[in-house]
Amino acid sequence: MISLTQAASNRIRAWSARRHGQDALPAAVHRRRLYILPTRYGLMLAALLLAMLIAGLNYNSNLALAFAFLMVSVALVAMHHCHRNLLGLVVDVDADIDAFAQGEAQFHFLLTNTSAASRRDIEVRCREHHCMTAAIAASAPQVATVTIPVGTRGLIRLDQFELRTRYPFGWFRAWTYVQTPLTIYVAPSPSGERTLSRAAAGYANAWTESRGDEDFAGLRGYEPGIPLKHMAWKVLARGGEPAVRSYSGLSQSPEWLEWALTEGLGVEARLSQLCRWVLDFDAAQRRYGLRLPGVEIPPGLGPAQRGACLRALAQFDMAS
Amino acid sequence: MNTSAPARLAVDPPLRFDQLLRISVCVALTLIPLVTSLPLWVPITIAASIGIRLNAAARDRRPPPQFLRLLVSVLAIGLLFLHYHTFNGPTAGSALLALMAGLKLLESESQRDIHIITLIVFFLCLAALLGSDSFWLLGYLVGVCWLTCATNIQPLNNAKSLIGPDNLRHSAVVFAQAAPLSLILWLFFPRFDGPLWELPAASGGAQTGLSDSMSPGDLSALAQSDDVAFRVHFLSNPPTPSERYWRGPVLSDFDGRTWRVSAGGSADGGSSTPGPFKVQGPAYRYIVSLEPHSNRWIYVLEWPTQWDLKEATLTDEYVLVQPEPVSVAIDVLATSYSHVQAVEPLSPDLRLRDSRLPPNRNPRTRHLAEALRAAHADDLGYVQSVLDLFRQQAFYYTLNPPKLGRESVDEFLFDSKRGFCGHYASAFATLMRAAGIPTRVVTGYQGGTFNRFADYWIMRQSDAHAWDEVWLEGRGWTRVDPTAAIDPQRVEHDSSDVAGVNDAQVSRWQRRTPWLANALLRLDAIKQMWRERIVGFDQRSQLKLLAFMRIPEPDEQKLVLVLAIGLILALLGLTWAVHRDFKSRPRDALARAYLSLCDKLERAELPRNAHEGAETYAARISAARPDLSAPITALCGHYTELRYGAAPHNVSTAKFAAAVRALTIK
Repeated sequence: MISLTQAASNRIRAWSARRHGQDALPAAVHRRRLYILPTRYGLMLAALLLAMLIAGLNYNSNLALAFAFLMVSVALVAMHHCHRNLLGLVVDVDADIDAFAQGEAQFHFLLTNTSAASRRDIEVRCREHHCMTAAIAASAPQVATVTIPVGTRGLIRLDQFELRTRYPFGWFRAWTYVQTPLTIYVAPSPSGERTLSRAAAGYANAWTESRGDEDFAGLRGYEPGIPLKHMAWKVLARGGEPAVRSYSGLSQSPEWLEWALTEGLGVEARLSQLCRWVLDFDAAQRRYGLRLPGVEIPPGLGPAQRGACLRALAQFDMAS
Repeated sequence: MNTSAPARLAVDPPLRFDQLLRISVCVALTLIPLVTSLPLWVPITIAASIGIRLNAAARDRRPPPQFLRLLVSVLAIGLLFLHYHTFNGPTAGSALLALMAGLKLLESESQRDIHIITLIVFFLCLAALLGSDSFWLLGYLVGVCWLTCATNIQPLNNAKSLIGPDNLRHSAVVFAQAAPLSLILWLFFPRFDGPLWELPAASGGAQTGLSDSMSPGDLSALAQSDDVAFRVHFLSNPPTPSERYWRGPVLSDFDGRTWRVSAGGSADGGSSTPGPFKVQGPAYRYIVSLEPHSNRWIYVLEWPTQWDLKEATLTDEYVLVQPEPVSVAIDVLATSYSHVQAVEPLSPDLRLRDSRLPPNRNPRTRHLAEALRAAHADDLGYVQSVLDLFRQQAFYYTLNPPKLGRESVDEFLFDSKRGFCGHYASAFATLMRAAGIPTRVVTGYQGGTFNRFADYWIMRQSDAHAWDEVWLEGRGWTRVDPTAAIDPQRVEHDSSDVAGVNDAQVSRWQRRTPWLANALLRLDAIKQMWRERIVGFDQRSQLKLLAFMRIPEPDEQKLVLVLAIGLILALLGLTWAVHRDFKSRPRDALARAYLSLCDKLERAELPRNAHEGAETYAARISAARPDLSAPITALCGHYTELRYGAAPHNVSTAKFAAAVRALTIK
C-alpha cells in the first residue's frame, strides 16, 4: 500500500515536473501549480455530511438540515482557506550549505508572505524529510529548515521540493512542487590529527582592514537585495530578526593546504584531514589555499573560499 | 555518489495535555444536551475515560494499554446493546456515538485522533438536533462545533495559552464565511414531502393533551398545566369569546362514572361522516399551529367546513381527525362557521347511542330528571330549567373538587356541589339523557390568551374545557355550556377555566405581573415566529419564497435553478472574501490615490523609478513634459504635504484623490 501511494506520488511529481518546467528562485506559488485534494479525514467528513443531510431530510428536521448545511459550507470555506494558505507564497532556498559525511545537511527555505493576512501551518518537504512552520505573519519572512541525514561524501541532488498545508482543519491538503535543482556537496567528515608545520605562526601577521567580502565583522539587519548566502540563518532559526553577516576583507600571508602533506593515509582519510584543516583555518580567520591532484584553489578567506574548498573535497575523484 | 538518505516516515506529533484538554471539553459540551436521554452509566463512562486520559497526559504517561482499552470498549458497547437491543435510531445511535467519542479519547495519541473525535462530535450535534426545534440548542451546538474546529487547527508550538485565541479567531472566520452559503443551501435545497424511508421515531418528550376519556370524579392535573396546546392566528375577525370553542374529542359513551369516545367515533378510526348540514353565521378563517400530541384529532373552531390537510376528515361528531397521531407540529389553515344546522333528523342509531345511560346508576339524578321533565315537556324549557338549577343552587366552581365515589353524578349534584367543567358537563349530560334528550360531552379548548405583540391566540392546556351538545328537534346539535351558568361569585379564584366566559384575554398570571406577562408574550411571539418560519419551513414555504422573489410559476425545477445560481454567487463572494486580503494593497486612501496617479503617468510612459520620491519624480516629469509641469508639481506637492506635513493641511485627502481622478494625460 505504501509503495502504491509512493508510486502514485512519484507519477504526480513527474507529471508536474513535465507540466511546469524549471522554476527560478525565488518562486511564487501560482494558482496553476497549486493542487488541492481532500485528506482521508476530508473524505470521512464528506461521507458524514452526506449521512447528516439524509438524516435531516428523512426526519424532516429543519434544524438538523440547517446544521448539516452549515457544516457543508464550513468544509467548502475550509477548502478555500487551505488553497489560499499557499497561494502567492514566495519561497527561496539557501543553497550554500555545508554538510559533512555521516552528518546532516540542512536546507534553509525562506518563506515570504507578501499578503496582508498571515499564513499558518506550512510544511516544506524534501523527499521524506519535512519541516513545519507555525505561522508566517503578513509581509514577514520565515525560515523553515529541513534536515536531511547524509551518508557518504559526495553530491546530493534534489530536483524539486514540495510545499504543503493542511490548514485549517486538516480536511484538505494543498500542495505545490517547486522544480528547482537543490545540490548539497557532502564534504568528507573532518578528522585527522596531523598539524601543519607553520600552522601556529600565522596569528602575528599584520592585517589591513577594508570593507569586503572575506572576513566576518559582525551582523547587521537584513535588507531586500542582499545575497541570501550572507544570511545569518542560525540567528533567524533561533527566532531572531533576519540578519546578514557582514565581512571585512583582510590580507595575510596564505597557507597552502596540500594533498602531499597528508602522505601515508588512505584517500578518504587524507580528504578528511584536509577538511579538518580547512575548517580550522576558517575558524582561525587565516587565509588558505587548497591543492588537490588536478585541483588548485587559490588562497582566500571567508564563506566563498570555504565553500569552494569543501566542494572540491566533496567532488574529488581519484580516478579523474 | 550519495543519493539517498535512510527514509524516515512522517509521524504525527504526540498529543500534548492542552490539546487533549481542549478536545475533551468539546466532547463534554456536546454531550450536555444529550445527557438526559442517555443511560446514566454512559456519561459516567465517558467522564471516567476523559479523566484517566487527561491524568495520564498531565503526568506525561501513555494512554492505558491496548488490551485494556479493547476490553472496556467491548464491555461498554455490549452493555449498550443490552440496554437498547438495537443501534438503530437517534437515541441508541447517539448513545453509541457518545460512547465511541469517550473511548476514542481514552486511546487518543496523535492529531489524527482529534480529527476522528471531531467527526463524532459533528454527528452527535446532528443527533441532538434531529428531535428538537429549539433555537438555543442550534446556537449552542454551532458554538460547540466552532470550538471543536478550533482545536483541529495545528496549535502553535510556542502557544502558551490554553484557549488559543488565534485558532478561535480563524475558526470564527471560517464559520462566518460559511453562514451565507449555508443560508442559501437551507433556503433553496429541495425538501421532500415525507420521509425517504421509515425510521424509528425521533425521541419525543412527554406529550400532554386531551385524552379520549373523562372521569370527573378523579383528580385532573390537566387544567393546571401552562403548556401550549396550539396557537391560532385569525385571518378574519376573531369570533367573540362566547363563540371560541375549539372542538376536540366527543365523548358519547357513559358508564355511570367515565365518559368515553364511542367505538367508531372520533378516535377510533371510524370513517363515518356527518350527515348533511348547513352552516350559518359569519365565517372565520384561521391558522391553527398545533403542538404535537399523542392523538389523531385536530383542534378546530366549531364548526369547520374547510381545512388544508389532505388526509384529515370530519367524523359524524364533527371532529376533525387525521389517520396518524399528530406526532409533529403542524399548521392547518381552516374555515369555520359560527352556527350549524342539521338538515336531516338524527338517525335512530345515533339517537339511541346518545340517549343511553347505564341502568341502575346515579338513581338520585334520574329522579331529579323525571321531576324536572314532568314540569317541562318542551326540550328547550327543560334545558333551561337544568341550567337554572346550576345557577340558583349553591354550585361552586373549583379546580380542586373533592374526590367522588362510584355514583359520581349523584354525589356531585346532591352532596359536594363543587367541581370544574367536567363535572358540570357530565352532570348536565346525565340529566339530559335521563329525560330522553340525545346529548354528548364535547371536550376541547375555550378562551385562550391573546398575544397582542404578534396577533395570535395562545391556547394552553389550562384552557381545556368540556361542554355539552344537545339534539333539539328542528335545530340539530346545539351547544350548551353548563359551566357558564355558574354565578361568577361562586367561582373560586385561582382558576382560569371559566375566565373565558368573563374575560378571555386575561389569565391569572397575567393579572398578577403585567410586565412579566408582557415579556412572556413577547417571548412566545418570537417562539411562534421561529416555529412558523424556521422549524415549519417546507416545500410550500420554498415555493412561496420563489413567488415572493417574483419568479413566475415557481416549481421544483426553478428551485434547483435558484439554488444553483445562489450557490455560484455565494462561492464567488467567498472566493473574493478569502482572497481579499491576499493582495498587498495599500490600506489608506492617500496611498491608493498616489498609486493611481503613478499608474496614470506610467501609461503616459513616464513611470516612477523605485527610488524616486514624489518631489524628485515631479521634477523629472516637469523636465520631460513641460506641459504637465504645473498639475503634476501641484499634485506631488499636495501628496508630500498630506503625507509628511503637519496638520492642518491645505487640501484634504478626498480632494487630492478627486484631483487625481480628474487628471487626464494626453
